[in-house]
Amino acid sequence: MPDFNVRSDSVNVEQIMEQIRARIREKRGVDYTEQQIRDLAAVKLEKFLDPKGVRSDLLERYRKLQPAYEPPELPNYEFEDSTLYETHRGPLRFIRKLLNPLLKLFFNPNKLIQALHIQSKLNAMYAEREARREAARRATDQLTYELIHNLVLETTRLGIEVKNLKMRVESVGSRLEFNERRARALESVVVYKPGEGDVVAPPPQRAPAPSAPRPPQQQPPAPTFQPSPAPPPSPSGVAGGAAAPEGPGQRSRRRRRRRGRRGGGSAAGIMGGQPAPQPGAPEASGPVGHDVADEGADTDAMDEVETNAVATDDLDQFSGASSHPSEPVTRPEDAGPADAGPGRVKTDPDTQ
Amino acid sequence: MKLAVVVQRYGQAINGGAELHARYIAEHLAKHAQVEVLTTCATDYVTWRNELQPGVETVNGVPVRRFRVKRERDPRVFGRRSDRVFAQRHSLGDELDWLDAEGPTSPALVDYIGKHAADFDFCLFFSYRYYHAYHGARAAASRAILVPTAERDEAIGLSIFPPLFRAVRALMYNSPEERAMIHAVSGNQAIPGVVVGIGSEVPHNPQPGRFRQKYNIRGPFAVYVGRIDQNKGCKELFEFFQGYLRDPSGQLTLVLIGKELLPIPSHSRIRHLGFVDDADKFDAMAAADLLIMPSYFESLSMVALEAWALGKPVLANGKCDVLKGQCIRSNAGLYYENYAEFSETLAAIEQNRWLSGTLGRNGRQFFREHYDWPVIERKYLEMFDRLKKEAPAKALDPLPGWFDRRRQDLPAADEVLAKLPTGSATPRFAQHAEPGAPSTGSGQGRRRA
Repeated sequence: MPDFNVRSDSVNVEQIMEQIRARIREKRGVDYTEQQIRDLAAVKLEKFLDPKGVRSDLLERYRKLQPAYEPPELPNYEFEDSTLYETHRGPLRFIRKLLNPLLKLFFNPNKLIQALHIQSKLNAMYAEREARREAARRATDQLTYELIHNLVLETTRLGIEVKNLKMRVESVGSRLEFNERRARALESVVVYKPGEGDVVAPPPQRAPAPSAPRPPQQQPPAPTFQPSPAPPPSPSGVAGGAAAPEGPGQRSRRRRRRRGRRGGGSAAGIMGGQPAPQPGAPEASGPVGHDVADEGADTDAMDEVETNAVATDDLDQFSGASSHPSEPVTRPEDAGPADAGPGRVKTDPDTQ
Repeated sequence: MKLAVVVQRYGQAINGGAELHARYIAEHLAKHAQVEVLTTCATDYVTWRNELQPGVETVNGVPVRRFRVKRERDPRVFGRRSDRVFAQRHSLGDELDWLDAEGPTSPALVDYIGKHAADFDFCLFFSYRYYHAYHGARAAASRAILVPTAERDEAIGLSIFPPLFRAVRALMYNSPEERAMIHAVSGNQAIPGVVVGIGSEVPHNPQPGRFRQKYNIRGPFAVYVGRIDQNKGCKELFEFFQGYLRDPSGQLTLVLIGKELLPIPSHSRIRHLGFVDDADKFDAMAAADLLIMPSYFESLSMVALEAWALGKPVLANGKCDVLKGQCIRSNAGLYYENYAEFSETLAAIEQNRWLSGTLGRNGRQFFREHYDWPVIERKYLEMFDRLKKEAPAKALDPLPGWFDRRRQDLPAADEVLAKLPTGSATPRFAQHAEPGAPSTGSGQGRRRA
C-alpha cells in the first residue's frame, strides 16, 4: 500500500516521484546488494566453482586482451578545382592556366575535378564513419564483457543458493524421518496390549495422601491420555517403593517405552496434549507413574545416559549437522539452565 | 482582421493532432476575425491522395479553400531520402528533396499564398515539417506565424528549418519544451514566441455510468486513448501492464480506445473498444481512474489535457520531455521511465484515493488556467496586436545556388538531434534557453496547488 508523506492539500509531483524512486531502491535493497553479490562471488567461488574454469578477474582480463583503439592514419588527398594545374614552377602554372581554355576544347576537365573532389570527400567521410563505428563496437564489447562478468557473478550466486537449498532439503528430510520414527514409537506405546505371559498388575489405587515428590532425574514423560488396557495395580497398591515382580515380557516392554522417551519431549507435547509436568511438580497418578516407580531410580539414571547418547547420535545422523555447520543445532554447553532441567541437556532441535 | 490558416489537411472527419489543432484554432478565431483555411485535397497523411474536390467549401462556418496535391507520396523514395538526411552527411538539396518526397507537394497552394498573402493580415502555418509550411512560410514570410507542433524527432535536426524559424514573424508553441528545443536548434530567441497550446471541447456533464453500462466495464480501470501503435509507446505499455497484472494487489483493467495497429495482448483485464465517438471517449475518461499516456514523442498531448479537464490524473511516459514537463508543471500527473516506476506510480494512483483526487483537481485547475478557450484566444489576439505594432523582420534569404545546394557539408539530423538539450523545461532551464525573452508562455513557473 503506497503511502506518501504529503502533509497538506498540496501535491508536488517531483517530490512524490522521489519518494517512489526511494521506495523502489528500498525494495531492491531487500534482495542482495551488488556488494553482497560480489562478496559472495569472491569468497565462495573457489569453494563451489572450479577456479581454473572461471576467473574472478574476468573483466580485467577481457580489457587487457583488447588494446585501446587508435584510428589508423589513412592516406587521403585534397582535390580542389586547381589541383590538376598545380606545380611549384610559376611559369609552368601560368602556361597551364593560359592553355586551360584550349584543354577544355578537347575534353571537360570539370567533371573529372568534380568526381575526384567528391571521391576525396567520400574517403574522408568513410574513414570518419569507420572510426566512429569501430569506437561504437568497442564500447559495445565493453558492455558485453560487463554482461558476461555479471552473468558469472549471478551464476555463482545461484550455485551457492542451490547448494544451500539442497543442504536444507536434506536436513529437513532427515528431521522428518526422525520425527516419523519417533511418532511410530509413541504410537506403539499407546496401542500396546499386554501379552498373555505378562503379569497383569492391578490398577494403582489412589493414595489418600499425595505421593512424595520425586527427584527431577526420575521424572518420566507423562502423557495425559490413558492407554487402552489399564495396567494392573501393583501388589503393594502403592505407586513407588519396592520393585514389582518382573514378567517374561516386561523387560522388553520397558525397553520399548524407554525408546519411546528418547525424543526428549513428552508424548503429550508431540501429540498436542498437555505438556509433561515440570520437575518438582506433583506427580500425576496413573499407570505411567507406576511404570516409573516400577523401573526404579537406578534404571532411570541409566536410561538418561542412554537417551542422551542416542539422541545426540540421532541428531547428528538426521539433522545433517556434521555435513553443514550452519544448521541450528544446540549443543549441550549452549543449553541454558532455563531450557533444561538439572542434569539434562536439550539436544533435540525439535523441542527447542 | 483577415487571417489565413494553412494546414496540410482539413475537415471535420480528420482527427490528426495538428489538423484538429488547426481546425479548433480556425473556428475559435473566426469569432474575432475573418478566417480562411488554405489546405489540400488530401485526407490521408500517408499517401496525400487527392480525395476532396479543389475549390472553396465551408466547414463549420469557416471557408476552406482546397488545392490539389501534385503527386502522391512514394513511401520507398521517402524512406530512402529519410535515411539519407537523417543518418548521413548530406547536402541542402538532399533535404529539399526529402521535403518534396514527404509532401503534401502542392505548388498550387504555395503559388496562391505567394500571390494573395497581401490579402491577409497574418497567415498561420501549422506543422513546420511539411511542404506547405516550409514553402508557404517562405512565400509569405512577413505575415507568417508558425505553429510548429514540433516533436523531438529527426526532422528537427534538418538544416532547412532553422532559417525558417528565424524568418517568420512569430511562433506559437505548444509547450515550453518545444520552445526550448526550437531555440536550441535555431537560436531564434529574438523572434516573438508564446506557449499557447490548444483547448478542447470537453463536455460539462459526461456520463461515466452510461459508458460502463454500454461496454460492460466494471471495477476500476485505466484508459488509453489514441492510435494503438508502437510509435505511441503502446508496446512498452503492454509489457509493463502485463507485469502489473501479475501483482495480485492491482485491480485495474486497461481500456484501450483507438485504432489498432499493434497486436493487443489477450487478457481479461485488457479491453480494446476500437474507435469510439467523442461522447463515449469523454464518458470513458470520466469513468476511468486515470489516463495512461505512453507516447515517447508529443508536442502537446490533447488527450492528457482532456483528462485533466475532467479531473482525472495522468500517468505519462517520463521519456517524453513534454509529457513529463506537463505533469510537473500541472502537478496533476505522475510519470515513469521503467517498469518499476510504472508499477509503483500506477499502484500509487490506484490505491491512494487522496493522491488521485488531488492530482485530478490540480489537472482541472491547470486546464482552466492555461488551456481554456478564452485563454487560448486571448494569447493569439495579443500576439496579433503585438505584431501589428512591430515592424516585419528582414526578408528571408533566398535558397543557395545549384552548386551550394549540392555541397555535402550538412551533418546527419540524428547527430544534431543528439546534441539538443533534453529534459523537461523547468524554470531554470527555460531561463537558460531564452535569455532576455519575455515570459509570456503558460506554465513557466512551477505551480503549486
